[in-house]
Amino acid sequence: MPARDPAALRIALLALATALVAALALGLGSGGLDWQLIVSLRAPRVAAAAGVGSLLALAGLGLQVLLRNPLADPYVLGHSTGASVGALVALLLGVQLWMGAAAGALLAGLALLWLARPALAVADDASPRLILLGAMLAAIFGSIATLLLALVPDERLRGAIFWMVGDLSGAAASLWNLAGAAVFVAWLWARGRSVDRLMLGADAAWLLGEPVRRLRLELLLLASFAVGLSVATAGAIGFVGLVVAQGWRLAGVARTRELALLAALSGAALVMAADLLARMVVAPLELPVGAVMSLLGAPCFIWFLARGVK
Amino acid sequence: MSSDSLLETRALTVRAAGRVLVERLDWRVNAGERWCVIGRNGAGKSLVLRALAGLGVPHREGEVLWQGRAQQDWPVGTAARLRALMPQQAQDRFALTVERTLALSEVATAQGGQRLAELMTALDIGSLARRRADQLSGGERQRVALAQCAVQGAALMLLDEPVSFQDPAHQQVVGRWLVDAVPAGAGPRAWVASAHDPSWIVRVATHVLALLGDGRWHAGPVDEILSAPVLEQTYGCPWRSVEGAWLPA
Repeated sequence: MPARDPAALRIALLALATALVAALALGLGSGGLDWQLIVSLRAPRVAAAAGVGSLLALAGLGLQVLLRNPLADPYVLGHSTGASVGALVALLLGVQLWMGAAAGALLAGLALLWLARPALAVADDASPRLILLGAMLAAIFGSIATLLLALVPDERLRGAIFWMVGDLSGAAASLWNLAGAAVFVAWLWARGRSVDRLMLGADAAWLLGEPVRRLRLELLLLASFAVGLSVATAGAIGFVGLVVAQGWRLAGVARTRELALLAALSGAALVMAADLLARMVVAPLELPVGAVMSLLGAPCFIWFLARGVK
Repeated sequence: MSSDSLLETRALTVRAAGRVLVERLDWRVNAGERWCVIGRNGAGKSLVLRALAGLGVPHREGEVLWQGRAQQDWPVGTAARLRALMPQQAQDRFALTVERTLALSEVATAQGGQRLAELMTALDIGSLARRRADQLSGGERQRVALAQCAVQGAALMLLDEPVSFQDPAHQQVVGRWLVDAVPAGAGPRAWVASAHDPSWIVRVATHVLALLGDGRWHAGPVDEILSAPVLEQTYGCPWRSVEGAWLPA
């Protein structure tokens, strides 16, 4: 099959590039090529960056299909703002930040699932309702987060704000992210054709024999876990979730299986590269990785859009 | 019950927006029959087709049977081999090529679907294979939707207005394909299509289901139903037949 070769080539090249970025991220930094430093300090952080990037790109891909909206972002459903509330509460209580964030994301995800049950139960297109529900949850959590920010003592404010725009400096539990991304990719691979058919519409997929309700529930759960996990690790890193899957689609990739691999790899590479820059540019100071990525990534994407409109 | 019944309704009532669209419809579609559903705009043709396909409608009572068995008793995967539905409007949100869209719509091609290339030529969409489905003209997209329905390979095709966007030449193309797809009184297949032009219907259909818009209906062979009185009841204006063509008078 001739169509298979360019896809495999694309994936292989991207895997190579991602490995290169990982090697650079491991090798560069203050302290140089000290093995001890690499293993104990840089490796967990690079793994966290890769995992978070993959998870967000995959969540974006999944939600774009689930919501039948190519512009869906992993944060449209309110998990990240829920996580922000949790993280701020944790700051106020003096508990570990990531615990609060995980609890907040989980709570927001459960609230959405519970509210969206009727919308998911009908075979018709539920996306407008889901998006609106997510936006309302995000509005509620967002305003609570703003109110809480007013209560955070000044010496902790900087950490809180860094975390809200995405920050990997305190990243822990890094392998969970990579494991989660692997599970997500495996699911998308196994269900590739079914997810492709969901792109034709919920009714159309159901008429073709797909168990639409179950597919969408699984997709929503996976995306929720992916966002929750990444937000608990590194805060609300933007851009990557919206752009990666969308970019590959614009480049003409339409198959879910291929998109899943490409999204996982390029998401990982993007966040690793952004984090590398974030800690190199004004070393020994560190910049929030989310801001660095959007600042460099968005203009690139605009250029890509301007030149590639078909 | 004879085994060639592809679709049967028993006292099917469909309501929407406080109106009865069809009341106690007892109706049967056998293999080798080509049915057209007629009715005014808003008479309920699309909703009845959705109900026949097993999709949700605001309110329904009664039974729909596919091949003699209640539609809700068929597993969703098997149902895809029994019936296909061509919606009035495709919901394209993603950039998929025509080729890809058709490939995703294949379910049981080995069992009875036409060869893809032949099909695309017959429906005059052969040159569109690499085009994006969401960038086609209305008429082109409609013929691709019909091809999607065909490659699903189901014995019963439910078609919601397959020629509403077709120019006169392509109405002929589609009509010819529809006649060839179900030889009258023979073969394992049947279709039910909503349509408006009685002159077109006379040429392609073997049977007609007329929905009068108030719950009443008429069903039967095309010569019986396409008559001045039934057409007038259906559309609310007088009709006359001129050299085999029906014209509103």
